[in-house]
Amino acid sequence: MMGILDAFLPIIVFVLASLLTIPMVKTVRKMKRGKALLELGWFSAVFIAAIITVANLALKYYSQPSPQSFLILTLTAGSFTMFSSAFLIDAVSVYMAIIFTIVSAVVFIYILFYIDSGEKLAERYYSVALITLGCVIGTAFAGDLLTLFIFWEATAASSSFLMLYYRTPKSLHATLKYLVMVIIASAFIIYGLSIVYALTGTLNFWAVKHALMALADKHLLEIAFVFIAAGYSIEAAVVPFHMWLPDAYTAAPAASSAFLSALVDQGSYYVLLRVLIYILSPPTVLPWTFIFAVMSALTMIVGNLLALTERNVKRLVAYICITDVGYNLVAITSVTPLGIMGNLYFFLIGGITTALSFMTVGIFNKMGFETLEDFSGVGRKMPFTSLALLLAAFSFAGVPPFAGFMAKYLVFTSAIEGNLSWLAVIGVLTSVIQTAYLLRLINYMYTKKPREEAKIKEPGKLLVPIFIFTVAIIILGIYPTIVLNLVNAVIQQLPFMP
Amino acid sequence: MQNILLLTLLLPTLAVPFVYILGKKSSRAAAFLIALICITDIALLSTTVPSIINGASHKYVESYYWIPVLRSSFTLFVDGVSLSMAIITLVLIFTATLFSINYMQEKKGLAEYYALLALLSIGLVGVFITSNLMLFYFCWELMLVPAYFIIGGWGYREPYKAAFKFFIFTHAGAVFVLLGIGAIFMVTGDLDIFQAQAALLTANPELVKWILLSLTAGFAVKMAAVPVHMWLPDAHSEAPAPMSALLSGVIISAGAYAILRISLGTVFPAVMATEFGSQFLHGLTVVGIISAFFGGLIALVETDIKRIIAYSSIAHMGYVLFGLSLFPFQEAITGTVLHLVNHAVSKGLLFLSAGAVMKQLEIRDVREMGGLAGQMPITAVSSTAAALSIAGIPAFACFFSEFIIFVGAFQTISSDAFYVVPTVLMLIATVISLAYALRFVGHVFLGPAKHEKVTEVPFFMKAAMLILTVLVIVLGVWPTFFIQLITSVSFV
Repeated sequence: MMGILDAFLPIIVFVLASLLTIPMVKTVRKMKRGKALLELGWFSAVFIAAIITVANLALKYYSQPSPQSFLILTLTAGSFTMFSSAFLIDAVSVYMAIIFTIVSAVVFIYILFYIDSGEKLAERYYSVALITLGCVIGTAFAGDLLTLFIFWEATAASSSFLMLYYRTPKSLHATLKYLVMVIIASAFIIYGLSIVYALTGTLNFWAVKHALMALADKHLLEIAFVFIAAGYSIEAAVVPFHMWLPDAYTAAPAASSAFLSALVDQGSYYVLLRVLIYILSPPTVLPWTFIFAVMSALTMIVGNLLALTERNVKRLVAYICITDVGYNLVAITSVTPLGIMGNLYFFLIGGITTALSFMTVGIFNKMGFETLEDFSGVGRKMPFTSLALLLAAFSFAGVPPFAGFMAKYLVFTSAIEGNLSWLAVIGVLTSVIQTAYLLRLINYMYTKKPREEAKIKEPGKLLVPIFIFTVAIIILGIYPTIVLNLVNAVIQQLPFMP
Repeated sequence: MQNILLLTLLLPTLAVPFVYILGKKSSRAAAFLIALICITDIALLSTTVPSIINGASHKYVESYYWIPVLRSSFTLFVDGVSLSMAIITLVLIFTATLFSINYMQEKKGLAEYYALLALLSIGLVGVFITSNLMLFYFCWELMLVPAYFIIGGWGYREPYKAAFKFFIFTHAGAVFVLLGIGAIFMVTGDLDIFQAQAALLTANPELVKWILLSLTAGFAVKMAAVPVHMWLPDAHSEAPAPMSALLSGVIISAGAYAILRISLGTVFPAVMATEFGSQFLHGLTVVGIISAFFGGLIALVETDIKRIIAYSSIAHMGYVLFGLSLFPFQEAITGTVLHLVNHAVSKGLLFLSAGAVMKQLEIRDVREMGGLAGQMPITAVSSTAAALSIAGIPAFACFFSEFIIFVGAFQTISSDAFYVVPTVLMLIATVISLAYALRFVGHVFLGPAKHEKVTEVPFFMKAAMLILTVLVIVLGVWPTFFIQLITSVSFV
């Protein structure tokens, strides 16, 4: 049987690890020998513990008799009350916890080698990264709108520290922009939540959903919906609220960009999915699909066109993150099981691919290559890093046999199923634009003559996580059944949502 | 043997790393490895011939576990049509590889070149021997990526520009194919082309109409039908000659094959009885005629040796479209598939000979060439054979297939009067093809010699061209083998 502890252990592991990391790294720094090994040991221990706890949760979850395959925890003593902080662990949350933990474990290898522990504030960076992880997993486990909001805002706040780590004027500026947007967003959300609470007298997912389905007068709900949806759209960088993302991800250290795009971005799509489809407003309550379909189309078009004109490679990858929001929204707006399947698969693949590109771009940036022109001929100078970026580009473009293809296929098919064929057509056309600028990048990397012929030694340690993700992209591309079977199990359980 | 087809695909897949490693040591060894794999594959595929011709269902199927969630299994199958295409593809890869040994000799990075060629062969063969749409799309795109790098990396002038155009155009086509595949999955819940065909019969005809249009438009891009042909002249003429041969011989034929197999074979039966059905076929006819005239007329005035051949490919895809539009008449379809086979061999040969000429002369303008017949006799003989075949002269390959297409056309006229004018126009188009073929041979090989000290090409190039020349003549005199294979398939 599943207990409260099973559900909270992953979060507890990350929070504890986060607290212990600061003294740990500080002590290790004073030691003369074995520094690197000790640190590596510490963080491996953290992630092994996290993976064990998540695996434990997943095993216990899936060994339950099927109809009650979700767990509802309320933090007030005694039975269910309307106003209580609640946690809901269903198949989707478990899946999110699994992919967050696995992907973050790989990204953390990169963080460790990219942010040198000798740097002055490195211990804080590690610590904040770990607590961000805890918060994101908390978001996935949240069972009421307020808990979700609190965990999500905590994630956003801690992300801002990851962005401004190097404190360059640019990153300060970008982080400020991000924070302002987040604050506006949270104000919107709080306002919306207060209306929802007034309407229904509760914030628990299941209670809100049932109350709203029975609601007669929907005028107030419309207002609440607009505010909440706008708030979460700002944080997910849906066009026209996307302006903070390219600045923030370009100014942040590459390790942060990789971490944020792989986890926090995917978390924000998860929040949209959860809030829009399952709780606040299934389309039976409010007809919001068309508006979101338009926003999704806009996001794909604007994101891709901006990327098409961009010459700074890191910023280009940031724009690809925006287009990913668009593709995720396509699946969300389709409101079909296939769409959710596409979303869940995209959370993993999109995370891996964007993280992979930010990681490779981070290495290039370290060598002083910033713009497309700088990337001329790097294919010969840094063969391994370039190959990884090449494969990531093909995966983004949706060319089989790379993982991104299946994600896009599911997304577009779900749009056709949801009677949004026009959106699917826009999707594939923007996907062609995406292919165009990615091919241009490849052209620069492999055909143009480099300014200097000298070969550059690639940092071997940083290539480890890159290698893992590259292999994952190829294997998941050729044999997606590994993940799709898991996702399918999740979809099978959705009808049992409370 | 139970896993013949799986082995056919696995062999080139597993060979890729070995080809690369061998290529680092000796590029010739890498080429021989690919050639060996092609021969083995042909032998493997040939073992299925008895079960296709004599079996009750005229097919040979293998199925493996793949993505059950999307109801996709790794289904490999061959019937007469796909087997003919697969065999001719392997023959072309084989000759292109042999040709590359001498042709590419001085180029750099040959290990990568041969590894990409091996990678390309997976997609090229895979497209023809699968009945699962998902796997089909995998192979469809796998034709694209290695081809992009081969054209870009070893092509002429501004190769990456041509390769870019090629990639974007055909990828844009491919995403529409993807939409069509997605819609088929939505409507039928199945991705097997034979299962889907049955399920589509009961589907909403309005939706089927869009699926059909989306798929056909996507395939037509690969086939380079006018007005989506713009990528072809650049890609074909800038690519290295072996790649041009594969592009023109196989890749665009794959588009035609896909229209036949998926658009017409799987989706079309659902709308065949409706008015839209005949409109669709008439539309194909019109596009076919435009392509045939457009390609033929430009080939007549073009002066770049490879562009002449490239435009003639567009013209020939026009014939193929015309043949496809006569669906479902057995003769017409047999002629069309046979034409794909014959065209692959003839056009492959023509591109290889053009490559041979370009390599020895290092110019590409036909007006500056002349009198090469005496200096390069073998190249001259093989190009003449290929050109005559392209022109549809009896005893050379393409004559038979064009003849059968026209037989089919005359039969169709008796039931649909629309085809009277198109048939006459297509007959006129064959005259144009004779004109540009003769012009090509005349400019390049006849007349006074304009260049001194031109020598015949080295051994492997000669060998590759001779193999195809023999095939062109054999197919022209005795096409029975392929006709038997193709007629064993019935589409309706």
